[in-house]
Amino acid sequence: MVSSRVIRNLKKEFKRSGLAKLGLALVVVIVLTAVFAPFIAPHNPTDQQLNQSELPPIGFSQTEERTSSQMVDGEIRTVTEEVEITADPDHVFGTDGLGRDMFSRVVYGARTSLVVGVLGTLLAASIGVPVGLLAGYHRGRVDDVLMRIADVSLAFPSLVLAVALIGLWGRAAVDIPDPFVAAGLAPEMPETFVLPITVVIVVGLVNWVWFARVARGEALSLRGQEYVKASRALGADNNTIILRHILPNAITPIIVLGTVQVAAIILLESSLSFLGFSGTTLSWGFDIAQGRDYVSSGQWWIASIPGLAIMLSVIGINLLGDWLRDALDPGIEGEGGAA
Amino acid sequence: MSFGRFALKRSLQGIGVVWGVVTVVFALRFVTPGSPINAVAPLDASQETRQAIAAELGLDQPLYVQYGQYVFDLLRGDMGFSYIRGQDVATLVFGRLPATVELAVAASVVAIVLAIPLGVVSATRRNEPVDYGATLLSLGGISTPNFWLGIMLILVFAVQFNVFNTSGRGVTVVDVAQSVVGPAPVFGTLLAWLAYITLPAIALGTYFMALITRLTRSGMLDELSKGYVQAARAKGLPRTLIRYKHALRNTLIPVITVLGLQLGTLIGGAVITEAVFSWPGLGTLVIDSINTRDWPTLQGSLIVIGTSFVLVNILVDVVYAYLDPEVITD
Repeated sequence: MVSSRVIRNLKKEFKRSGLAKLGLALVVVIVLTAVFAPFIAPHNPTDQQLNQSELPPIGFSQTEERTSSQMVDGEIRTVTEEVEITADPDHVFGTDGLGRDMFSRVVYGARTSLVVGVLGTLLAASIGVPVGLLAGYHRGRVDDVLMRIADVSLAFPSLVLAVALIGLWGRAAVDIPDPFVAAGLAPEMPETFVLPITVVIVVGLVNWVWFARVARGEALSLRGQEYVKASRALGADNNTIILRHILPNAITPIIVLGTVQVAAIILLESSLSFLGFSGTTLSWGFDIAQGRDYVSSGQWWIASIPGLAIMLSVIGINLLGDWLRDALDPGIEGEGGAA
Repeated sequence: MSFGRFALKRSLQGIGVVWGVVTVVFALRFVTPGSPINAVAPLDASQETRQAIAAELGLDQPLYVQYGQYVFDLLRGDMGFSYIRGQDVATLVFGRLPATVELAVAASVVAIVLAIPLGVVSATRRNEPVDYGATLLSLGGISTPNFWLGIMLILVFAVQFNVFNTSGRGVTVVDVAQSVVGPAPVFGTLLAWLAYITLPAIALGTYFMALITRLTRSGMLDELSKGYVQAARAKGLPRTLIRYKHALRNTLIPVITVLGLQLGTLIGGAVITEAVFSWPGLGTLVIDSINTRDWPTLQGSLIVIGTSFVLVNILVDVVYAYLDPEVITD
């Protein structure tokens, strides 16, 4: 399916483009972080240490007014004093309002983002690609019906539809045992990974239409090719032609779209978590929502750091998508919606 | 096909899609766990009360009658009644719509005004520092979650520097318009309006600014390499004229189409931007109605959002066909 020409183009473009290298580096870092989270995180991300809450990140300090009651000249008086809170080297990115280690939360948040991004994209592709290929190949009434469904689906913004569906169906989550913790390699860490399954299903159902559009376009242009006609003349049935001839030749733009969609779904997941429509509390969007309450009181890092993590991941994936698009040139600029 | 026929065909298609939107929204009620009666009836309601409510809501009728009634009511502008808010859904939804439209338009203005010059400069000075700067800016823009950007803007401008408001919509664009004719001071009203709308508009507009910059840049590069540009240059036409009158015009046509398709993203973005800035629009209404299980309001909001999307896209297609009659023959 992937010819040597494709690999040559990828290599050539990679050597030429510094941004492609940056993108690949970012994605590799994020994938490794997500996979090996129990070894990278210094603390359990859900452990609350209330006596160590709101510690600033390394290199910063924070002054806070504290009021206490003290005995002065035989009377009880309320005394306000300024206390300097310094960073604790044990908490590189500081701690949140409940004294949870921000760095560990960012590390574990990568798992949620990446798993939802990849599973959601796979689900969207597994609905959209067959629908699009069938519509584009058969044309006629099938095409009309499927494309009208796609039009209706597009009329609802991804985020609005996702919020509505999760609101109706609830926020289900599945606990998946962490293999490293189960093997006793990281005993301090959370035993399970909480997969917000409703979010995965909903983002898949909401974003399939982009895959359907691209797959349909490819099938429409490929169905008239000589080799497809030849295959039909040799007696191949339609499904065989779609699987053997159309799909392999349509796969490049689908892969490029898939990359962009992982980024879009990560943004969508973070928006849903931010609004409280997720089944997990270990997510960058959720942490930003928590940190929002601390913005006006000066604890800027609680909301800022998880947002930087989202931004860097999405930049990495988008750069990877640009690299694939420039190297493979499927010509689908501007397709694919974000949150 | 003539332009008129194209516009008519496109409008009929649009009506079909709106009908689909209505049907999906109607069907949402049946994939929802729990009967709609529960939303209205008290927990200890007797069987008789529940039956009376079912009859009142038309729930004792066969499905096709309920559906027919729903569509018929919508055509009369009746979107049902929100028992939770004690208000007509149509009044509620159309009361909130202007705030969202105002935010979306302001964000689009911010995006377009910045993005098109940036994209043009980026393309005409390819591989110069300006181009790298614009590329990085647009990469950051399409990769930043807008709700987070909103919070960061609040952090910097509202908390640190104490300029701009962080929540609500104290002054509307209508107030500004009225101050021009009325007794209120124009400049003061305008400043007050800007204090409310600037941060949400930037938070929402940044993604689109980035997207339009990218599209304009690649479109311009494409156009500038075409034969007609070389011919114009050979003819001795001034560079500015070629760039802005010829190349940019051809670049903008596909940009407009993508923007129409991305309108959904704009409205979706508005939902979450409204949540960050407590902007009293449709977005906050959607979120509130889900959290309070106010299904009639949710349904009404979804229909208005879906229908606006369809209307704007018909408009985009018709304008597109007017500007570039070739698409009609496709």
